[in-house]
Formats: sequence, structure tokens, C-alpha cells
Amino acid sequence: MNLRAIGCNFRTAPVDMREKLAFDPAKQEKAVVDLSSRFGCEVVLLSTCNRVELYVARQPGEQPFDAGLAAEFLGEIHSVPAAQVGPLLYEHADEAAVQHLARVASSLDSLVVGEGQIAGQMKQAFEFAHKLGTTGPMLNALLAHSLRVAKRVRTETGISAGHVSVSSVAVDYVRQVFDHFRDKTILVIGAGKMARLTLKHLEALQPGKILVTNRSPEKAAEVAAMCGGQAIPWNQLDDALAKADIALSTTGAGEPIMPRKRFVEKVLPYRGTRTLVVLDIAVPRDFDPAIHDGDRVCLFNIDDLARVRQQTIGERQKAVAPAEAIIAVEVKKFTEDWNRRKSGPAIQQLRTKFDRVRAEVLGPLLDKLNGKLTPADREYIEGAFRLLQNKLLHAPIAALQEASKEGESRKLVEAMQKLFNLNG
Amino acid sequence: MPVSLPNVSLACFGLSYLLAFALELARVRWPRPSLRVAGLVLGAAGLFAHTLFLIIRQPTPASAYGALLAVAWVLAIFYLYGSLHHAKQAWAVFVLPVILGLVVMAFASFSTDENHDHSLDFGTRVWGAIHGLFVLSAAVGVSVGAVASTMYLIQARRLRMKLLPLGKMKMLSLERLEGMNRRAVNLAFPLLTVGLLLGAVLLRHYHDFADNWLSVKFLGTVGLWVVFLVLTYLRYAVTLPGRRLAMLTIAAFVLMLLVLIAGHPFVKGDSA
Repeated sequence: MNLRAIGCNFRTAPVDMREKLAFDPAKQEKAVVDLSSRFGCEVVLLSTCNRVELYVARQPGEQPFDAGLAAEFLGEIHSVPAAQVGPLLYEHADEAAVQHLARVASSLDSLVVGEGQIAGQMKQAFEFAHKLGTTGPMLNALLAHSLRVAKRVRTETGISAGHVSVSSVAVDYVRQVFDHFRDKTILVIGAGKMARLTLKHLEALQPGKILVTNRSPEKAAEVAAMCGGQAIPWNQLDDALAKADIALSTTGAGEPIMPRKRFVEKVLPYRGTRTLVVLDIAVPRDFDPAIHDGDRVCLFNIDDLARVRQQTIGERQKAVAPAEAIIAVEVKKFTEDWNRRKSGPAIQQLRTKFDRVRAEVLGPLLDKLNGKLTPADREYIEGAFRLLQNKLLHAPIAALQEASKEGESRKLVEAMQKLFNLNG
Repeated sequence: MPVSLPNVSLACFGLSYLLAFALELARVRWPRPSLRVAGLVLGAAGLFAHTLFLIIRQPTPASAYGALLAVAWVLAIFYLYGSLHHAKQAWAVFVLPVILGLVVMAFASFSTDENHDHSLDFGTRVWGAIHGLFVLSAAVGVSVGAVASTMYLIQARRLRMKLLPLGKMKMLSLERLEGMNRRAVNLAFPLLTVGLLLGAVLLRHYHDFADNWLSVKFLGTVGLWVVFLVLTYLRYAVTLPGRRLAMLTIAAFVLMLLVLIAGHPFVKGDSA
């Protein structure tokens, strides 16, 4: 194996340098093709907002592609001095590179552990390189392995469970209460940036109706137009709440706009048994927390959502150790399989050669004894020769397989080829 | 040539369900596909053995033993169907204990077919079977409603406590659970009504009604019917919150269990 994973990420490079080193598709195509043809190697380039990494595989015995060459190459492509790029780069070789890819794909190396995008981004990067013809047996096998490990990690450790953005956590809560949304009404109270952001997540649920209210009717109309909703006057807030199934409140009011007394008297009696989910992400809070009962009214304010976010991050951290254990096992398995694959042809050559020699010796012998042997005798002699061959080959094949596991089979293969004249 | 019937016992499927339940519990802690597959295989094996058992032994549904096993069998089908269709939900964790409970109760109230009243004529047997079918279908409805209600109460509690929305035990939404409960009860109520009326008519014509109308079975069934009536009234006329409806459904389920294990007038010597 002659594999290197070289790059920089959010830990090693500040954002301004990551911006400078990032690749758009055109630049990425040029870089991948250029690097592959210049060094005669398999190349994949992964460029996301948090990392730029090169995965380079060369033939065993060739000079490995190292961080120094990578710094020069990246500097040249982006017109940045290599001396600035070099200190930002890390380098993982062979088995460590396999492990690094598995960790990246499993999002253990991500800014937010357990985030779900990186495996897809890695797949895209490999497909991009594959189309350009810069991947080969090593990197193709490595991608399949990394994605498989990532899937196993996700399934078995639950590292990607839950969400960590406040808006997504809010949607998770809504989904715990409601099953379908085509008959639901969302009421947006306030028209600030946070309202728009969270509304985008809620819109994905495809609600039946969106109502928007704000002290400023113009702003309400603006948000309503943006989401295909309906603006309603601020003084109809109680009526709108009585009709709503989900209320998203983000006003900048100095004190609660919906005290418990007002809610109990002017909203609750007109709602029947329908459950209302209130997502109060305003600071200070818009709704009195006392209205929450977990049955008819489920209120979640910014503190609740932030707490869940922290809990989710904590849960994901608990999954890191089991995930690392899975990766360690899978990396070992991949390395052994790969090395065995490399020694496989030599073992096959050895067997073919001995089969041929056995046939050359046994054929004339059986011809000479023709007519003097019963079928049982003939079978016995053939079996004895096969047994002899197997006994002779057992030790060299076992040694080759053992060396393959350690990744040190190359010299042994060469020795066997010479000793048994396998290339002849 | 005599056909040899497999020697299936109550312990065969009882243990299969128990192991499936243990695996489902383990899956809540360690969400691994292998545990799910193993759980489903054991559950399916349990259902298969359960089916064979009912076919071979043919316990009468009029006895507590037969009724409990019949209800458990239908619930086992629900459990497998739900587990296959809601792979990520902790459906089995709630249904399997009910099935296991019913099997254990059947084991405890063991009675054999010999108790069945063979003196009944064909007409009574047919009408008795129809009556039993309605009542047992209603019992299945109540059981499904009770499972949905239990899940509802736990989900509502989680929301009330503002716990992690996607904790390790994933559950259906409140709306879905409430809908399941509503449909189950709405289906069970007319079935129970018809079953009860048929039972009363049969009792009136073929048995000594005066001796039996004060039996636990009869009074319990009437009580269950009244609970259903109250449930329907509270849901549609008074619009009671979901949590209270869920608790009332669970109460109806407990009453139904009492009715099922109570002695039946058609089964001689069945213990009340």
C-alpha cells in the first residue's frame, strides 16, 4: 500500500486560508487531472467549507506523494506561497490514511460530530474523480470501504441521531406531536431573521396554511409573500392562535405578548382538544411558560431547544468511542484484505506452476504403467501426488499470507518468483 | 396413515415472544440491525408456533384460556406487522408485553377443551361462535387501543418533561397515537355491542338467564360496554383531552381482561 491522505481542516487552518485553498468544480477538475498525470497516481480531492484533502495512491515501491509536494501543488493551483500552505497540512500514510478516511466519512472528524453531509460530499468527490479517470483499484476500494464503515457507525452507534441546529430541533419537536401537516396551520409571530430561518425548516413539512402576524403590517406582508402565507393584523393574534396548530414566535417584545391569563381566557376555550405546539424562540420570551402541559399545549422556548441541542451533542460524544472501535476493526480488516489481494496473484502463479509440474511428472508415469493399474490404484497415485504438492506448498503459501497481513509481502513475492521461476 | 402433529406447547411460543421482547429491549439500548432481524425472526417463530398450537389444540374461545390465546394471536399479527412497517419505532416494546401478559394469564387460567359444554345444539354453537367472534374482535380493538394509549401517555410525558425529542426509544407522534386509539375504540364499540346483544339472547334462550345475569362475565361485559359508551361520549361530546382518554382506554382494557378470564356460562367448570 502506498496511500497518502494530505490536507487541512478547520482545526489546522483558519477560515481565510481555507477560503483561499477551497476548490470550485472547474479548479477541482484541473487539479485532479493535473496531479494524476504529473505524478502518475490515483487522486481524489475533497473540498468542503471545513476541509481540503487530497487522497493519493501510488504503486508500491514508488516515491510516496508527501505533504511537501502537496503544499507546492496547492500553492501553485491557488497562487499561494507553498511556505504558507505547508504548516497547515497534515499527512496520514497507508493504514493511518485508511483510518482517516473512515473517520472523515463517519463524521468523527467533523466540526459537528455526527453531521450527515460529509459522507455524501466524499462520495461526490470520488465520483467526480472517477469520471475524470483518476481513481483506480486502491481509491475505488477505499471509497466503498469508507462509506460502508460510515454506514455501520451511523447504524450501530446512533452518532447521527437528533439535530443540533435550533431550527431542526424545533421541527423534531413538532414531529413528535403531529403526524401529517397538510391540514395544519402555522402561525408566525414576528418577522425577524430567526423567524425566516425557522420558517424555512417548517415549510419543508408542507403545512396547509401559514399565517404571519407582526406589529408592523409591512413586515408581516413581506414574510407572508416570501412563504406563500397570509398576513393578518396584529390585533387578531388571539383568533389566529385559536386556529393555529403550530405557533412560531420570534418578536423582539420587551415583555411576554401572551401571558397565561390571556391565553387561558382568549385562546384555549376556542381550540377544542387540538394540540398547539408553541416554538417560542424570542428573547425575552413571548409566551408564559406556564401554559405548557405536554398535551393540549406543548411549548418549547429557546432554552429548551438549546438544552436539547446540548444533550444531542453530549449523546453524540458518547457514541464516539464505540465508533472509533468499529473503525479500528474495519481498518484492520481492509488493510489485511488489501494486502492479501496483492499477494493473491503470486499464490495463484505458484499453484499453477506446481499443477503444471505435477501433470508433467505424473502424465508419463501413468502412461508407462498403463494397463497395469486398476482405477483405484490410479486414483491413489494421483491423490498421493496432489498431497505431496499441497504439503510442499503449504509452508510458502502460509508465509506469504502471513506477510500479507503485515503488509510486508512484496519482498517475499519477489523472492518466490525468483526461487520458483514464476515469471518464466 | 395417521398424521403426526407437532408437539407444540404454550412454552414454545411464550418463550419465543419473551426472547423477541428481550431483543427489542436490547435494540432500544443498542440500535443494531442484527438485533432487529433476530427479534423479528423470533417473533415470527413465536407466531408460527402459536398458530400451530391454536390449530392443533383448538381451545374454545368461550373459555378464558382460549379467549386469551386468541386475542394474543391477533395481537401477535399486529406486532409483526407494526414491527415490519415501523422499523424505527419502539412498537414491539409496547405490544409484546401485552401478548406475553395474555399468554401468561392463559397459562395461569389453564382449562382444557373437556370443559366445553357439548350438550349445546348446532344452532347455539353457530350463534355462539358468531358472538365469540364479535367479542374477541372487540377485545383485540381494546388491546390495540390500550397499547396506543400507553404509548400516548409516555410520549405526552416526554413532551411535558421536554425530554430529547429523538431519544433512543422512538415513538409515533401524539396525533398518530391518538388516531390509532380512536379508530380502535370506534371499531371495538359496535363489535362489542353486537357481541353483547347476541350473548344476552343466547343466554336468555338456552340458559337460565336468572342464574347467569349476575355472573362476573355478564356484568363485566355490560360494564365494559358502559365504559365504551362513556369513552365515546367524552371524546365526541365533551372533547376530553387525549391524556384522559388514554387513561380511560387503559381502564377499559383492564376491565376487558377481567371479563375474559371470568367464567363463561357455556363452559362448564371454567373458573371465574
